[in-house]
Amino acid sequence: MISKPKTLRVPSSLSAPANRQNPPGLTATRSIVKRFWIHTLAWGITATFLLPFFWVFITSLRQVGLPPPNTIEWWPTQPHWHNYSQLFQILPITRYLANSLLVIALAIPITWLVASLAGFSLSQLPRLWRRRWLIISLALLMVPGSAVWIFRFRIYQWLNFLDTVWALVLPAFAASSPLFVLLFYWTFRRIPGELFEAARLEGASAWTTWWQIACPPARPTTIAVIVLTFVMYWSDFISPVLYIYQPANYTLPVGLQILKQLDPTNWPYLMAGSVLMTLPIVLLFIILQRFFLHDFSLSRSTEQ
Amino acid sequence: MITTPAKSYVSNITHYASRLTPYASRITHYALRITYYVLILSTLTSCNNNEASSISFMVFGDPAEFAAYEQLVAAFTTEHPDIPIQLRHLPSQAEYRQRLATDFSAGTPPDIMLLNYRRFAEFAGQGVLEPLGPYLVGSQIIQANDFFEQTVTAFTWDGQLWCIPQNISSLVVYYNQDLFEAAGVPLPGYDWTWADFVTAAQALTLDMDGDGRQDQYGAGLEASLFRLAPFIWQNGGNLVDNPDQPTRLTLDSPESLAAFQWFVDLQIKEKVVPDAVAEAAESSESRFLNGRLAMYFNSRRGVPTYRTITQFTWDVAPLPIGRQAAGILHSDAYCLAANAADKEAAWIFIEFANSPTGQSLIATSGRTVPSLKNIADSPAFLDDQPPAHARIFLDTISVLGQVPLIPNWVRIEETAGREVERAFYGQATVEEAAATAINLTQPFFDQFQPP
Amino acid sequence: MKVPLSQRFPYQTQIRLFLIPYLLGSLVLIVLPALATTAIAFTDYNSLQTPTWTGLDNFRQLIESPLVRISLRSSLIFLLTAVPLRLLAALLLALLLQQKRRFFGLHRAVAYLPTVIPEVAYALIWLWIFNPLYGPLNFILSWLGLPAPAWLVEPHTAVAAIVIISIFQIGEGFVVLMAGLQTIPYSYYEAAKVDGASSLQAFWQITLPLILPWLLMLTFRDLVVSLQNTFTPSFVMTYGGPYYATTFVPLLIYELAFDFFDLGLAAALLIIMYILILLLVIGILNLVGEVRLSDDL
Repeated sequence: MISKPKTLRVPSSLSAPANRQNPPGLTATRSIVKRFWIHTLAWGITATFLLPFFWVFITSLRQVGLPPPNTIEWWPTQPHWHNYSQLFQILPITRYLANSLLVIALAIPITWLVASLAGFSLSQLPRLWRRRWLIISLALLMVPGSAVWIFRFRIYQWLNFLDTVWALVLPAFAASSPLFVLLFYWTFRRIPGELFEAARLEGASAWTTWWQIACPPARPTTIAVIVLTFVMYWSDFISPVLYIYQPANYTLPVGLQILKQLDPTNWPYLMAGSVLMTLPIVLLFIILQRFFLHDFSLSRSTEQ
Repeated sequence: MITTPAKSYVSNITHYASRLTPYASRITHYALRITYYVLILSTLTSCNNNEASSISFMVFGDPAEFAAYEQLVAAFTTEHPDIPIQLRHLPSQAEYRQRLATDFSAGTPPDIMLLNYRRFAEFAGQGVLEPLGPYLVGSQIIQANDFFEQTVTAFTWDGQLWCIPQNISSLVVYYNQDLFEAAGVPLPGYDWTWADFVTAAQALTLDMDGDGRQDQYGAGLEASLFRLAPFIWQNGGNLVDNPDQPTRLTLDSPESLAAFQWFVDLQIKEKVVPDAVAEAAESSESRFLNGRLAMYFNSRRGVPTYRTITQFTWDVAPLPIGRQAAGILHSDAYCLAANAADKEAAWIFIEFANSPTGQSLIATSGRTVPSLKNIADSPAFLDDQPPAHARIFLDTISVLGQVPLIPNWVRIEETAGREVERAFYGQATVEEAAATAINLTQPFFDQFQPP
Repeated sequence: MKVPLSQRFPYQTQIRLFLIPYLLGSLVLIVLPALATTAIAFTDYNSLQTPTWTGLDNFRQLIESPLVRISLRSSLIFLLTAVPLRLLAALLLALLLQQKRRFFGLHRAVAYLPTVIPEVAYALIWLWIFNPLYGPLNFILSWLGLPAPAWLVEPHTAVAAIVIISIFQIGEGFVVLMAGLQTIPYSYYEAAKVDGASSLQAFWQITLPLILPWLLMLTFRDLVVSLQNTFTPSFVMTYGGPYYATTFVPLLIYELAFDFFDLGLAAALLIIMYILILLLVIGILNLVGEVRLSDDL
């Protein structure tokens, strides 16, 4: 089986550990010229990655109906901020937004609970079972979404969940994605077994062990799972179409589809819609990535 | 760390697999059969826990159309408060089809649905629709000959009428009057020909700022089989060999090829239509809406959106005439699901929706040309709102042709449509495209067994 | 004396209980529907009638269909282009941004950003950027004097466009590789420096071999993910066009199921896709052969 060595730090690896020096490799010396190029390259990459969003924002401020620009314009001559308010009039966006937020408010805690408990459980099983459940989870991960659409509908129908928020949230009870279970599993595996042994000797139940010993160091993973779950439910556009009947219960991605139907090349509105859909996630990411940068290096904190 | 070379891992798998092989095929077969039977069982015993009392009615369309349907349902509820209607709305045809497939597979389709005549044969052929012909015969409010004959024929299959037609639209030319006047081109007349059309389009395709790229195009149309069909008919050709029992596309007949060539020459030779790049950059319809395209081919569907145009005056003209006049039928109808719980109540709604009252209500949205002869020829449809020459939709009815009613017509149209598009943008000659279209669609024709 | 619930069951049982929600949920929401779909693949099912068993008929039809062959080829070509490029990009980004320098936290976050954008919005954004006449990309290219192709209008450039989009979304792989890079003990590099190795040699001899298991795992995940991720871009941006160039397998499955109501064929194609991935994974495993892998997870 392929390994992820023990010192894996999933999202907190977005930061470099404090006690790590820069290894040689691509960045050999510390000469100023080299440093200049490295920083330029890094900034270049950031600019390249950010440019698309900047352009989208610009386009969303253009006047609807004008011929598209002949040259690249870095800022519209007359920013039409009211494109955004117009959008709210064309579609019931506030309702879609509220629905999306409701789905996420339910899905995130449930996902976290199920995935964390399952990951914890997996991490404490004897080796043979661990391997088996791991393979099963990986196999589950490979199942494409399109394989389950139609027959999930049957199940929701039987449970009488159609046209309710539960039809969209139910996957949370399966941890939304086996990936999250695996993430928690790998995180909990890194916690030294002695801690759990000590807790058991004191008579702690599994629940207490999970909550008090396993969870705190797993905070970066929790945050990563929260962000990923948010993205997953926020952008899901197949489920609402299949499982929701009344337009009042639609979520935001369906709204974007409707917008595209109304006028497939009305770029200002489409871009404004995209910005609306992207902004909450970007904001959430910006707020939470500070926690990613916190180095929860376990090997350091448990050194006596 | 104990290490296991990858190869031995794979060999472990193959080792176990080889030990199971004699049984493998059997095991798989039985497992699949069991799952399959469970599936069948669940299909037959579909649990319908939903509100059995209300009748579900599913539609698609933009918010303006949806508002019209809401009005219809409200009007019906005032008259028949004992029959609750649950209106379901999907934004577009794509999502509509997704829902239909899912609903049908679950055994709980909507009671009433709107189907296009190009699609309904598949449902009728599978026995999931309830033929509405007998209901129409027994109706006190509407009769078959109240409707335009072409729409009734469009939904008659295997000897009976399956659905009650809602509208009788067709392909027309929407034109920007101001652009015509500015260029000094005479407005399209009732019997303008292909040549008149091309001349006008050429005069209206302008590069106004000299940058080598057209700023205004004379015409715009979708490169699809459905748009090409009326031109083939106008040139004396045929889409299929036998409309009642089609066995192949006849795009390769001389008349069809000539029409096809004229169609693609609009883009390739005359260049009065945006090329592939221009179309991808900004759609023809968008250009028309913003006053940068003089003539746009579309059905009645476009009217609600075009009514929001304020910067210029627009109107409709009939299709230009080739060797003979011909148009193409567009029509949707209300269909009833065979396993609807309360068919009588559902019929009352369908009857109401297609009564003079109901059709007038929907007509006010501008989206439909009513299928009832009296309502079509009344102020409910011919009102003060643009287009001023709405009568054209009625005058062209006598020359409308329809595509054949085959269950998998959509696949044929889709597949052939890609070839039409390819030829339209100059990536294949019309002979090549026609031959490929015929080739690729042959299996679909072969699948079709006439009833 | 009442024994608390937590002490009535042995620890190992309690642990196993925690697995139940996940397993039950997965069983009901993933396994059962997937099994049902697998069974459908052997039937003739158009959602309107009960399925009729037809055995391998669907598979035969698929193999003979030119459209399916084109679609499989397109998906394969996409995989063979996109996955190596993505891995390369992830590796280069990880090598560059793993360092502890000023603002690199920001750079890392920005590199991860495209991954969290909702798929539909992301595809729409790029639809605008790739606009052949008015999109910013072509403006910049022509301003730089480079050729500005018609992107989504031409078959080859349409596929290239979707490859480019997927390269921007390597956030996940980039994070994984950074984690892998951090496990390489610094002492190795010190020893190499003492021996007089250049940075490139250090990379070849130390970094690459030690990071290979991570790369391998990433390759597998990428193969699976890339194959399925072509759905939203091809659905939103081109719907399989121009002329089938971007009709990748997931889109074809969708079309078969919901445009043509042929669910049996769609399910059969799903199975073929799954087998394809499995073959690729096994093939790569065999190719790599003697890589030392750990089974202590």
